[in-house]
Order: sequence, then structure tokens, then C-alpha cells
Amino acid sequence: MGLSSASTATEAIKLCIFDLRRGQQEGQELDKILFFFPADLPFSTQLSVIGLSEGLITFTRIFSPEAACELIEAERHSHVFYEAEPDIWMVMIVEKNESEAIWRIAALQKVLKEVHSLFLMFHGSIRALLEKEPAGGLIRAHLHPFMMDYLRACQKWSPLDNCCWDFLFGKKLLLPSFRDCLKECGTVQMLNVSREAAIEVQSLVRLLESCAGSSPCYSLILFQDLLVSTTLSPVDTINLFTYAVLRLTPRTISSGVSSWSYLRKGSTGSSVTAGYTLAHSASVPDQYYCLPDTSPSGDNNYHVVRPLKRDRWSKAKDGFLVTDIWSAEAGSSTSATPTIWLQQTEERMYLCAYQFRSLTLILVVPVASILNGEQLVSLVKQQVLENASLKMLKVEEKLSKGWGGENAYHVSGYRYLLVDVDRNVSRASPPGKVTTLTKDQVLRTVIVKGPKVGRLFPLQFSIPKVVSLACTTTANVNEVWHKKF
Amino acid sequence: MSGKASSSQSSVGLSGPGGLSHVYIQYPPLQCEISGSRGLFYDDGNKLLLSPTLDQVFSWKTMPFSPLVAPTSDTISEGPILSIRYSLDAKLIAIQRSNREIQFWHRETGETFSQSCRSESESILGFFWTDCPLCDIVFVKTSGLDLFAYNSESKSLHLVETRKLNVCWYAYTHESRLVLLASGMQCKTFNGFQLSSAGIIRLPRFEMAMAKPEANSKPVLAAEDIYIITVYGRIYCLQVDRVAMLLHSYRFYRDAVVQQGSLPIYSSRIAVSVVDNVLLVHQVDAKVIILYDIFADSRAPISAPLPLLLRGLRRFNSSASRSGREDIESSEANVVSGNETITYGDEWIFLVPDLICDVASKCLWKIHLDLEASSAIAASSSEMPSVLEFLQRRKLEANKAKQLCLAIVRTIILEHRPVPMVARAMDILVTNYSHSIKTGSYLKGIKSEKTSPSTVPHVSSPSAVAEVTASRVGALEKSVQHEFAAGVDSELFNRSSTLLSSDSEDNAISEPQKTNSSDIHFFYGKVDGENLMGAETSSTDVQPTSLQHQLLGPSNNALNANAPEQQEAQLTSPAISPDQMYSFIFAPIEEEMVGDPSYLVAIIIEFLHSANSEKVKVHPNLYVLTIQLLARYERYAELGLYVINKIVEPSKEVALQLLESGRQNIQTRKLGLDMLRQLSLHHDYVLFLVQDGYYLEALRYARKYKVNTVRPSLFLEAAFASNDSQHLAAVLRFFSDFIPGFQSTSDHNTYYRILNEMNSSIAA
Repeated sequence: MGLSSASTATEAIKLCIFDLRRGQQEGQELDKILFFFPADLPFSTQLSVIGLSEGLITFTRIFSPEAACELIEAERHSHVFYEAEPDIWMVMIVEKNESEAIWRIAALQKVLKEVHSLFLMFHGSIRALLEKEPAGGLIRAHLHPFMMDYLRACQKWSPLDNCCWDFLFGKKLLLPSFRDCLKECGTVQMLNVSREAAIEVQSLVRLLESCAGSSPCYSLILFQDLLVSTTLSPVDTINLFTYAVLRLTPRTISSGVSSWSYLRKGSTGSSVTAGYTLAHSASVPDQYYCLPDTSPSGDNNYHVVRPLKRDRWSKAKDGFLVTDIWSAEAGSSTSATPTIWLQQTEERMYLCAYQFRSLTLILVVPVASILNGEQLVSLVKQQVLENASLKMLKVEEKLSKGWGGENAYHVSGYRYLLVDVDRNVSRASPPGKVTTLTKDQVLRTVIVKGPKVGRLFPLQFSIPKVVSLACTTTANVNEVWHKKF
Repeated sequence: MSGKASSSQSSVGLSGPGGLSHVYIQYPPLQCEISGSRGLFYDDGNKLLLSPTLDQVFSWKTMPFSPLVAPTSDTISEGPILSIRYSLDAKLIAIQRSNREIQFWHRETGETFSQSCRSESESILGFFWTDCPLCDIVFVKTSGLDLFAYNSESKSLHLVETRKLNVCWYAYTHESRLVLLASGMQCKTFNGFQLSSAGIIRLPRFEMAMAKPEANSKPVLAAEDIYIITVYGRIYCLQVDRVAMLLHSYRFYRDAVVQQGSLPIYSSRIAVSVVDNVLLVHQVDAKVIILYDIFADSRAPISAPLPLLLRGLRRFNSSASRSGREDIESSEANVVSGNETITYGDEWIFLVPDLICDVASKCLWKIHLDLEASSAIAASSSEMPSVLEFLQRRKLEANKAKQLCLAIVRTIILEHRPVPMVARAMDILVTNYSHSIKTGSYLKGIKSEKTSPSTVPHVSSPSAVAEVTASRVGALEKSVQHEFAAGVDSELFNRSSTLLSSDSEDNAISEPQKTNSSDIHFFYGKVDGENLMGAETSSTDVQPTSLQHQLLGPSNNALNANAPEQQEAQLTSPAISPDQMYSFIFAPIEEEMVGDPSYLVAIIIEFLHSANSEKVKVHPNLYVLTIQLLARYERYAELGLYVINKIVEPSKEVALQLLESGRQNIQTRKLGLDMLRQLSLHHDYVLFLVQDGYYLEALRYARKYKVNTVRPSLFLEAAFASNDSQHLAAVLRFFSDFIPGFQSTSDHNTYYRILNEMNSSIAA
């Protein structure tokens, strides 16, 4: 377990994905590795990490075939395991630092789960891609940019929130702490609406769905970065919501549109990373990491869609959000309609997003096998513009009236994260609040009574052990907050 | 309900050359044949048809209209009669004997007196009684108005006031209390007075527009070209412009007269009637009627011009009894009957508002509006929501209008018309309902129905009621015919000798013709089916009997169907309450609809939207239905949103449905439990907790909220089922501690023994 050795002390976090069914022969161990971060670690180190994980998994499976290893707590590291798909494991290794932050294991697992869910949504399962090309080039070509984009995605968020959440800090991957912001992975944040507005919204939802004609389509409506309405299944709602908050909300869009220079800066940033990866790729055989990102014109063996890439969505004149991410050719100007996979129904769907002021509508239309999909989508778009624009205006007006400022839905003076595990709904104090409070202010105070569903229970923080962000702290938060019945 | 009339009528539409009609007159008319009659007069103040003979005057009440009404007679003296009117209290008869003298008759005592012009230069154009507090009778003379008050003691008139004006001719209707006095060379300058119970209002002088046929010719406006009509409580004057072939309309306000636009006319002779606030313009030469609903600004006709239909003329004219109320209608009835009924003959005089007097054959017809037909015709040409609006404004046959509205809404939903359109329809219905609640007309209708079913306070004539009844019976029976073998048909046919089932006979006859149907007919057929369904769900006693009755006998049926119908027919407003929306629209549709419920949910949302904006409360069953729909298609995410956002308002019914639907979805079930607790339905909450196996939580909750209505054995059973002796012991202990005397109950003994066994088995 050389992980604690001084040489890797600077690596706060390692993240790997491997397939237990591969590379079982002597000498082919490298086949197992589907993704490893940081990529510049020598293979021997990578293999030793994976070997340890694999060993533990095999060992624990003897006792618990269904759910094998979840966690290794070493003296200086925590290894978090997540079996994303049968025999495909994601392992995150987090260094325990001297400060008080003890990562909440469940939260770390949720990060892994979130990445995987997003991957599923855009690319389908890892196993399917592996079966498509057993050599593994395809999956690696997909996984690497996707994972890197995801890590950068989080980084992108933070400057706007005034808190530094930098997954990728130089070489280092740092996890944000509760100080930075409050968030629970795998939940959605809902906007509270009045009955009147809710009826208006539902009326709009019905109208939108009727725009797609007879085909069953779904919709998701966000106001700012809060969810207003959904007709998707809970799983898909969470995925699409996560993506929308990362890439589609007015905040993320406007930043992309408003400043071209910013985009440039972003791309130079990525080329820096590219250079960095390239520098190390000397030690990495080419077939393992084919990065279209790093070599845009070069050895582009696979066409890889990178949905998490930053600043690629913009608002067209008609209000619809467009992107070139899904373009058939890397350089072509025609932008294809984005597609996603729904987990619930395992259907391939077109993704249409429309934005009107703070309101973001996401329409998910099935990829019909008969009709020309692109035509269908443009038809739907036209229908939406014709029929629903008035209603959208109304809804936006109603919601903004109930909105009233950045922190209006927030219990002022406190910092909190409230999670309803039944409904996968969370409610956090707004990010702007975060840095203004010190830890002392949040101790042992009843801060809110009665969340949405009418469940009445006092909410309190038991110990200074803090609040959960994506990945922090104590394990029993939910129990404290959710005195069931 | 619309069933019968429509079917029989459309069959006529196919067979007869007259085609479809939206306006009809009902056979038989009121016969006013009196030997020695010296003309017919209509007294619109008392709504009497008067026929004077040499020394008597016969009067028929036309309100409520009934062809069987017997005349009353009064003795008068001989002499010429230019005009005759009863006083409003019906104590006096005033007879204009010449253009200088009016004679008065005291009906009880037979005393007479007369009043004549003073000056030689003036002559009396006419007179009318008024309920104005100042005076009782007004003489219209060429020199102006003379207002007289009647002194009952001195039995004479005394002059109260004179209004000096030059008058060529005048127009007056009692309905509007408005007298228009024409003056000027062309008789197109008008002075108006309204002599209402509130006093006398003088309208500003105004001129009517007249097109000139040539540059220097000046047409003179005739009295026949002016119609004063009252629509929706507003007073209009319609003026025929023969040159321009236009019907100009003017609306009277207290201090202004405003021209409202013009309607085209297609006949040199026209007449105007108002039925239930719908303006009927008879194009006499073309023998067609155009309907206008001048409520909104639109001057478009409701429907295409269609002929007047003579309805109910029996083939066997000998039996002129009232029982033959339906159905063999034919616009060419005049040919068949040999009776001298010729529609739009020269002898027809149109009386305001809705009567036709046939001077030649001495009969009086009442004009009816066929709501089914007119709405169907309107539906074919215009937008459905405007048809609904039209129907919602009908007062005379409120129940029929209401049923039609329900049928229309059901149809458009079943046909999956676009949501915005249905939304507009919902909006119209809800707005109208809330309006009628505010003005009280809806409640009034209900109340009068309950308190005084015998008095018939409003206008609906008994014939209309009877007709509605018949139509419903017809619809029911007809539909049953569809289901039964043809033998039943013949049986019905045989029974036709009895009076009550005469309409079913007609149905049987019209049935074969129904088969070669047109588009419009198809629409009807649909309405029929739905109506039947509505009847089933609404009046439960109608539905089962109608079936039985096919076998038992017809008389019974008519009676049964009558009972609920008669009450409903007395509604004064066609407004539809949310409860009725649920039970007549959503509930039946839900049964019929197949496939994806999202359309119906969308409609419900639109309905809730309208109801919310009008602050109208919605029946909890509608929420229950919504939940069922969503749960059936496993759209739990939306269901959750609906509950959380309180789109579905919390109630016990809703909570129970959530619990029921939540059997497949735990989150939904929890929503139901939460709702129960929020509503403080502690007993149910505890019960469901126990059912779900959370018996310890249930106990805690029961203790906290002092719920002692749940049987202890339930908790004990649940604890026993969990097979945990500690829990069972705890529950036993709980009851022993908190329920006095529990230790002596059989429950305690049973479970105490069980507990001991459990413990001993563990020990062993």
C-alpha cells in the first residue's frame, strides 16, 4: 500500500475506473484500467491501486456477494468504492489531511454515482461501450474527456459563487469542503411555488407536452437553478437537473455568451491541461488515452461527444439553447440536436432546451425511428414557440413575482442543508451566504420548522461536525434531520 | 335533454324539403275563433289576446302560453273599436272608439265613462296603461302626450301632465316601457320617454339614419319599420332601412342613444321577435329566420338562415289533445293537414316579443327556440366556446341549455380537441357559474325549486317542461332499443296506443330514418349516447327503471322520468357548478377514455386554473380522479408535485386515495399519510400507521394526540405479526398502563398468553 508514501503525498485525490472482467491474464493487467486520475502516475502505481482494490473486492465478496467492499479506511487515506455497473468499479482515494474535514463517505460515493449517472445519460453504459469495442479504446476515449470535463465542471461553478471550489487545482484534485458551499449530490433543489403559480406551471407543462403530438415526451422546468416542475422519473430528473444546473441555466449560459474572451481563456486553459497531458502521454501508450480534446486535428480515431464541455451552450435568437457539442463532425457548423438516454425507460431522447429570462424549459422528445428526428424536433420547437410562448411569459411573470430577490426562498440568518430522502429533494441556504458565516453561528440551533411536505420536525445541527456539501463530513446527517414520523 | 328532439328533427331534415330549423312553432296554436269577432287585438301590458264581438270582448291569456286556455269574456257596449287594452290591474277596459274619444269600462260594476280630446286640431293616435307612479294611462296624440291618473273614487281620469310635441306616429312596448314618438317630414326624428315604475325619463332627441334612393327623394319612415326590443335587459330600437337593406340598431341609455351597427336584411318584409334574449329576424319573403345574439359586440349571426318549422302537427288532426306533443314535424305540414297554416302568410302579425298572430285563421303561435338545433348549427359554423357562451346566456330553457353545455363539453373532450380551446370552454362555464353565484341567480334557481315547486315563478311554459321530459324519456328508451332485440321495437310500437308512450312510438318511427345520417346527425347521435350516460350517473332512479320498464309498461316510465326532470327544468340559470362538472363531465368521460390520461389531466388542470382564478371551490372527487389517473399511468413524480404544490387540495378523500394509489409507490403513500396528519385526522392516521406496521410510532402518536378510538387488538396483532416479543410486551404494557380495565379484557388475556408462549419458546 504505497499510497501513503511520500512520493504521492501531494496527490490529494485519486480516481479510477476499472473492469474486473478484463486483464485477468498475466501481463495484460493494463487492460483493466479504463480511467485513472491523475493520468500521469506511472502505471505501476496505477496498477498497485487497482490491484489493492480488486483484491479487497474479491475478498469481501466471499462474505457479501451482493454488496462487496464499500470503503477502506487507511491511516492517511480513505478508499471509496462504488460498483457502477456489474464488475465495473469506480474507486476514489482521498487523502485525510490534518484539518478537521472528515469526508462523508456517502457523499463521496454520491459523487461517483453522479458522474456515472451523467455518463449513462449521455453515452449509455460503460459495459455497452466495452462490448462495442472490446479493445477498450472507445470507452477510454469517452471516459477520459468526460471525467475531466466533469471535474472541471465543478471548478467552473465556484468562481461565480465567490468560493473557490477547484477540483482541478494544477495537478491536484481538491474536494470542496462544507465551507465552500452546500450541496447534496443526487438531490434536486425545488422552488416553492404558490398554488396559483403551480397550476399555471402545470398548465404550461401540459401544453408543452401536447406540442410533441402523440409521442410521449417529458419536460423539466427550472427557474434560475431551482426545479419547478418535472414529468420525468426521479432518476432522470436528478440527472437532467444536475446537467441543467451545470450547463443550461441562465447563469451558465450568460457567462458563456456575454464574454467571448472568457471562452478563449477557457480554451487556452484547456490547452494548458492538454499540453500537460501530452507531456505525460509519452509514457502512456496511445491506445489507452485517445483524447480528441488534446489533439483536435490529430489522431481522432473516435468521435466523442463531450456534453460537459464548458461554454458550449448558447442562446439562439428564438430562445432555444443551441450547442455544437453534438455536431456530427468536429469542425462542421451544423449543430445536431443533443440526445440523451433515459434511465427509466432506456429510450434515446432528443433534448430541447428553451430559455426565457430566468425560466429554462427542457423538453425531452423521443428519437422516433420512423420520422426524421431533426424534423420532428424543429416541428416541436415551432409548436412550442407558437402555442406556449404566451403561457411561458405568464409563468415567468408569476414565478418572478414570488421570487423576490436572490435569497427570498431562504431562511435568513442561517446556513443549512435540508434533505428529504424520500423525495430526493434538498434545500440549502444560497451559496452567497456561505462565506459570511462562521462555524460558531451554526451550532445547535433550531433553524427551520416544517419543510414543504408539511413534515414537522425541528432541524438542528448536532455537532460542529458540519454540514454536508457534495462530499463532507459525518455519516448520520440524515438521521438527525429526519426523525421519521 | 337533447336526445329526442334532435333525432326526430334531423330525420325531418333529411326527408322534408324544409330542412333543419332552429326556430319552431308548436302545434297546436291557441285558437281564438269567436263567431262575430270584429278583429283581434293584443294587449301587451297584460299579455292578453283580445277579440271583441258586437257586445262582448273575449280575452285569452298568452302568458304562460297554452293552447288550451279558455277565454274570459266581458260585456261591452256596441260601437267601433280602434284599439282595446285592459288596465294593468285588469279592473278597467279602455276602448278607443274614434280618434277623439276613449271609452272606459269598469269590469266589476259595468260603469263607463269616456275621455276625449279637447281641441279640434288634435287626434288620438293611441294609448297605453302604465305602471309609472305619476299616472295610470297615457294618451298619445298628434300634439304630444297626455298623462292621466285614474281616480277610483270619482271613477274618472284627471290630467296630470302634458308633453307638447308634434307626433306623426308612435311605437310603444310595455316590456321596455318606452314610447318613441316620430316627427318631422320623414318621420325620422324621435323623442323618447320611458315611463317606468321609477318615473319618467326623457331620452334625448335623435334622428335615425335613412339612405336615399335618389338624390332628392326623401323616404318616409313608417311605424312598421320600427321595433323596440328588449334583450338582456337592454333596450334597443331596430329600424328597417328599406333602401339600404339594412336593419339599424340603436341602444338606449339613460342619457344617450347610441347607434350600434347594422344587420343586413334579405327581404323587403321583415319581422323581429325576441325569444330568450335571442334576436330573431324573420326574412318574411324568403321565409327564413336569422338569429343574432347581440350580447357581445359581434354582429355576426349565430347561424345560417333557416326556415321556421311547424312542429307537432299530427297526422290525425281529429285528436287535438295535448298529449300529442311530439313529433311528427314537417315544415310542409300545411300541405298535409289541409289546415290553413301557411308560414309567413300575409295575415301573419308578429307580436312583441315572441308571438305570431295569424289573423286569417284566428290562431296564435308562440315562437320557440330549438336550443339543440341552433347550438348544433352554430357549432358547425362557429367556435365551440362561443356556442357555450350563447347557451350559458339562455334563461328560458335553462335546464336544456345546461344539458347541452354538458354534452358539448363532453364531446369536445372526447374528441380530443386542442387543449386551449377546451380551456376556454371551461373558463366560460366556470366564469358563468361564479357570476351566477354572485348575482344569486344560481341559488335562486335552486331555492325556488325546493320551496315552491308548484308556483312556477318564472316564465317556462308547461309545454316546455313536458317536452323536456318527453325528450329524456325518448333518449333513454331509444338507447335501450339499441341494446334490445328488434322485438322490443315492435312492442314499443304496439304500445303506442297509450297516450304516454306516443313519443316512443315516434322514436321508433324515426329510428329507421336515422340510419342514413348526415354529419350533423352524427353529432346528435353522439350527444344522445352521452346524455344517456349523464342520466345514468345523475338521477339514479331513472336509470334502473328505464330498463325494467321496457318490460313492465310505459306509463310507469314516464312518471319516473318526470320526477327528477320537472325539478331540474325549473332552474333559472344554466350555470354549471363544479360538482356537476365533475359528475356530468369528468366522471363519465374518465370511464370512456382509453389510453394516455395526460389529455384529461391537462383538461382538469385547465379547469382548476379557471376555478382558481374565479375562487370557486372544486369537488374533492375531482382531485381523487386526478390522482387515480396519474397513478394508473405511474406518473408519480407529477402526482407528488401536485400534492406538494397543493394543486390537489388536501382533504380526507384525497388522502385516502393517495394511500390507496400508494400501494405501488411508497412516496405517494407517505404523502397520503402526511396529508392525514396535517388534516388532524388522528384516528385514520394511527390506523394507517398500524396497518403499515409502524405500530410503535402509532402508539406514540396516539398517546400524544389522545387517540383512543383505535382498537387495542389492532396494535397487538401488528406487534404479534412482527414476531418480536419485546415489542409485543411493550404494546401490552402500554395498554395496561393507559387504558383502565384493559387487563380484564379478552385481548389482554389472549396476548398475555401468547407472549408467555413466545418467551417460553425462546427460553427453551
